Amino acid sequence: MEAIRNAFDFSDFPRLDMTVAGAALVFLLAFPALPHSSFAMATMIQFLMFSLYGMGWNTIGGYAGQVDLGKAQYVGIGAYTTAVMMVRWDVPFWVSMPVGMALAVGWSFIIGYPLFKLKGHYFAIATIATSLVLKDLFEVWDFVGGAKGLELPLRGNFPDFLYLQFREDYYYFYILLAMFLAGLLFINGFRHSRLGYQLRAIKDNEDVARSLGINVHWCKIKAYAVATAYVAMVGSFHACYNFNIEPEDTMSLDLSVLIAMMAMLGGAGSLWGPIIGASILVPMRSYLGSWLGGQAGLAGLDLVIYGAIIMLIAAVQPRGVWGMVEAVRGRRRGV
Amino acid sequence: MALLEVREVSKDFGGLRANDRISFQVGADEVVGLIGPNGAGKTTLFNCVAGYYPVSGGQVFFDGQDITPLKDFQVCRLGLARTFQIFQASGDLSVAENVMVGAFVRTGSRRKARAKAEEWLEFLGIADAGGLMLSELPVARQKRVALATALASDPKLLLLDEVAAGLNAAEVDGLVKLLTRIHREKGLALLLTEHVMEMVMALSHRVVVLESGRKIAEGEPAQVVKDPEVIRAYLGDHLVSGENGHA
Repeated sequence: MEAIRNAFDFSDFPRLDMTVAGAALVFLLAFPALPHSSFAMATMIQFLMFSLYGMGWNTIGGYAGQVDLGKAQYVGIGAYTTAVMMVRWDVPFWVSMPVGMALAVGWSFIIGYPLFKLKGHYFAIATIATSLVLKDLFEVWDFVGGAKGLELPLRGNFPDFLYLQFREDYYYFYILLAMFLAGLLFINGFRHSRLGYQLRAIKDNEDVARSLGINVHWCKIKAYAVATAYVAMVGSFHACYNFNIEPEDTMSLDLSVLIAMMAMLGGAGSLWGPIIGASILVPMRSYLGSWLGGQAGLAGLDLVIYGAIIMLIAAVQPRGVWGMVEAVRGRRRGV
Repeated sequence: MALLEVREVSKDFGGLRANDRISFQVGADEVVGLIGPNGAGKTTLFNCVAGYYPVSGGQVFFDGQDITPLKDFQVCRLGLARTFQIFQASGDLSVAENVMVGAFVRTGSRRKARAKAEEWLEFLGIADAGGLMLSELPVARQKRVALATALASDPKLLLLDEVAAGLNAAEVDGLVKLLTRIHREKGLALLLTEHVMEMVMALSHRVVVLESGRKIAEGEPAQVVKDPEVIRAYLGDHLVSGENGHA
């Protein structure tokens, strides 16, 4: 009961924040009814996906302060579980998604146990390495289609809510929006939970945290598992939405870095940070990427711009856009 | 049966023996001071007792249980809390939320943890600081937050590592009164290391003196300060005349 109350408790944010959040929600709900291009719709779907990725990343990367640059491996596990189960055994999305989350979380325990013996940069590097190794394995594993990946079979009877196959994007949009809202409420409960508080204690001083009865290693593993469940869930969705997955687009280092960067840009360790980050970077990436791709010789320049953004965050405001908002208010609350 | 029993505890760092077969006890309603000159091994012993360091030899018993193999977070759950010389709270949490982290040792409920935190902030006279960040408080109040955080974990024994360091005389006075109240009203046993002698003398029922990693004296504060070996340890051989007999 208290967990549910915690999930709906936004009382530590001022009314202004909640008004803005409410307006954003109304906009999201109404978006498919507004005039929009299919490119804009695709961008909105990307925005919701990356918000969810970022919310997940934020548990371990933000609240616990452990910079994780290997989230893509779990996107891959989620996406491949759904794809393989659908291609080979005709299993609906709503069954394969929880299976994918469970497999990813199971894998995260195996990876997390040794990984969290490492600290700081060593941890970050190790997360990259484990993710890349998994990607390489998938590229040579015939059962999952190797480097070519998998194509989901079209079932033909649109709209198919069981297998998540739709002709119109707004179906995907609303299903993802429901996941987004559920994910947001879960994170809001998470930051109010015992684990949420303990992680924030761990972030700044592990010695003090341990002296307060906190099993630091185990707490990090648990937070890592929560983060993993989020990205695996979105990974499953990604497989159905794209109809086609391959190791390169689900498990690449680019994706891992983007996930971390969105959350950091918006504000690591804050509730709204990942959403703010995604709302800035996703449109930028879509429109900049397509524009630069069209200009001869400029493709890839967007990567340079991301690099500059990372440097800017590190130098100007490590707490991201949300940190700037708090600095303007002169208070640092509502984490 | 003593609440805490330190039995022949040794701690080596490489070739350096920081604690050499030290034994002492703390009773369930006692306040014990651990004193000694700089480098005597007080903080090391503290860290061994609290499970922060593994001991190199000997055993530590708490509440009838051998806690020697336990880690610091497990020791805390049994009811042995500690403070650090330099308290660094989470910069993401307010004062009250930091204290809640201590309370979460005993409960999973945010409501209960919040109530427990407010209770201790009130008891320590810093209830008005609950919504602030730790960095916004003066040092003396930060130390009270550290105390509140440790106390919120419901300990039977509290280890205090130089809580009076950096405080002025009036603040030390306030702290002594506060710790006396914690001991009397909340029934906590205290073990403190301290450089500020007024504080040790005013609070402790018994004092254990360390020098160069060994225990050189133990007894009531008034007796211990007269012990020639203790005087020598603090002042050095050349200041102690021959009649005290430690050439």
